[in-house]
Amino acid sequence: MVSRISRYWLCQGVGWGFLVLINVVWAYTIDYDITWKMIARLMTMVIIGISLTHLLREVILRGAWLALPYERTLTRLFTSVVFTGFLCSFLFLGSHEVLGISELDPREKESFLNRVLLYSFNCIIVLMIWVVIYYLYHTFQRNKKRELDTLKLESLVKELELKTIKAHINPHFIFNSLNSIRALVVEDPQRARSAITELSNILRSSLQVEKMETVPLKQELDIVKDYLALEQMRFEERLQVDFDIDEDTLQQPVPPMMLQTLAENAIKHGISKQVSGGKILITSDFVGDHHEITVRNTGLLNGQRSLQGFGIRSTIDRLKLLYGADASFEIKDVPGDMVEARLIMPVQMH
Amino acid sequence: MVKAIIIDDERLARTELRKLLQDHPEIEIIAEAANAAEGLEKIDTLQPDLVFLDIQMPGKTGFDLLAELDRAPQVIFTTAYDEYALKAFEVNALDYLLKPVEPKRLADALQKLETIEEKESTIHTDGNNGPRNILGEQDQVFVKDGERCWFVKLGEIRLFESVGNYARVFFSTHKPLILKSLNALEDRLDEKVFFRANRKHIVNLRMIDKVEPYFNGGLLLEIRGGEKIEVSRRQAVKFKEMMSF
Repeated sequence: MVSRISRYWLCQGVGWGFLVLINVVWAYTIDYDITWKMIARLMTMVIIGISLTHLLREVILRGAWLALPYERTLTRLFTSVVFTGFLCSFLFLGSHEVLGISELDPREKESFLNRVLLYSFNCIIVLMIWVVIYYLYHTFQRNKKRELDTLKLESLVKELELKTIKAHINPHFIFNSLNSIRALVVEDPQRARSAITELSNILRSSLQVEKMETVPLKQELDIVKDYLALEQMRFEERLQVDFDIDEDTLQQPVPPMMLQTLAENAIKHGISKQVSGGKILITSDFVGDHHEITVRNTGLLNGQRSLQGFGIRSTIDRLKLLYGADASFEIKDVPGDMVEARLIMPVQMH
Repeated sequence: MVKAIIIDDERLARTELRKLLQDHPEIEIIAEAANAAEGLEKIDTLQPDLVFLDIQMPGKTGFDLLAELDRAPQVIFTTAYDEYALKAFEVNALDYLLKPVEPKRLADALQKLETIEEKESTIHTDGNNGPRNILGEQDQVFVKDGERCWFVKLGEIRLFESVGNYARVFFSTHKPLILKSLNALEDRLDEKVFFRANRKHIVNLRMIDKVEPYFNGGLLLEIRGGEKIEVSRRQAVKFKEMMSF
């Protein structure tokens, strides 16, 4: 802030100083005398000029003119410059009369008003230059900032994509599954074979997730079923799984791997922490004019899975990115010692 | 014969490890446990030589389990993927295996264990004959302080300091807290090595660099790490008695 203010005053100083210099050089080369009156006139010019342009800047800032569509900005700037030009001319010449430092011989009797009108053109040109510099500088700054914001947003989206992908393939899960499969190869070769297929499905879909914005619920559900089948292989009787899906919702688009993340969360925070295991219930239905998906698991929220939790944070971010305010997500304790994660999304008509 | 216990919450993981251990007849699996509480109980009653321990389990983690033991057995950690947990270890962790376990890695880990045991039995043939519940210098404890963990031989500990219900353990450059009272520790430590200097401190006698007289007939001990510990007058009498022969 400090550096911006001082940059403004620096420009004011340099600009008006430059104008004074031109006037002095001009007077000198035309072989005018450099008189005290002339210096006094230049002083009044600088004082009046800086005061008026500063006032103009206040008006521009207060009215946030630069944020308007640019045609309107330009019209306003032009009108204000013309008006300020007249005012400037009046104050300038008026002060000369009052102070008795007028340039003209008192004998030449041109009316004061005429002189003000004529001199306004000079003032308007100077003010125009001032406004153009001011406008260009700020437009340039704003473009730079906008560019930076776009870059920031892009990197945020990238980061989010990366995070969601990383969050989806939980390495702990993959290696534990592989370890279980290895034991099953001896114990139950048929189950081992299907487990390998389930694991491949999950790996494949997690690799594809970045390519699509949404997938039909059915496709996502298949992955979740494979995933839970593998977890059941690991947890055995400690994990019970139940689905309650309205058939009509199967074609609804959902963000890929989102339900999967919630299922993984349910296992991680619900089932794997309980010595005696627990139950997971997944539902999908139309509620009102929305599509609602819930994931319930045995356990208590206990504040440990706060909204800052990683999987939840990225779920909320993704929903916001896709649907804006039309979607919502919440997670809370529900009766029966269960935790419920609830996703509400807009319905897509086909 | 090495008596071992497998602690892992997944039955298939235990089965798999058992199968891998068939190639090592010197390891006898005397029990399995599916969670930390069960594991704790089995370690207490069966006193195994070796524990294969999973880190992530329901209820308590493998680390929590170890921190609750007075005397840590030899431990080989088994984990699927746990970069944080593995980072938590300082250099002296015995070993860990990543699941699915590579047979060669298992063989290496068991080999390492064998060489450690041999070394210890040659150094320490006379010791450990005392009552089983007194901890000797060669006994190791597992210390967990927030994210970091250590296996520490009691002989490496210079000093215990009482901090409320906790005790601060001083060894090498670390001084983590453990949830044990100084009085409980005093009961379990070998009094030939660990001396109660005052209400707040127990010092390792082998780690004392200097002894100076102090006010009121007390003593001031300088420990190898630079800590200065005051010995109360009453304890100073005892200290001189112990040191005089």
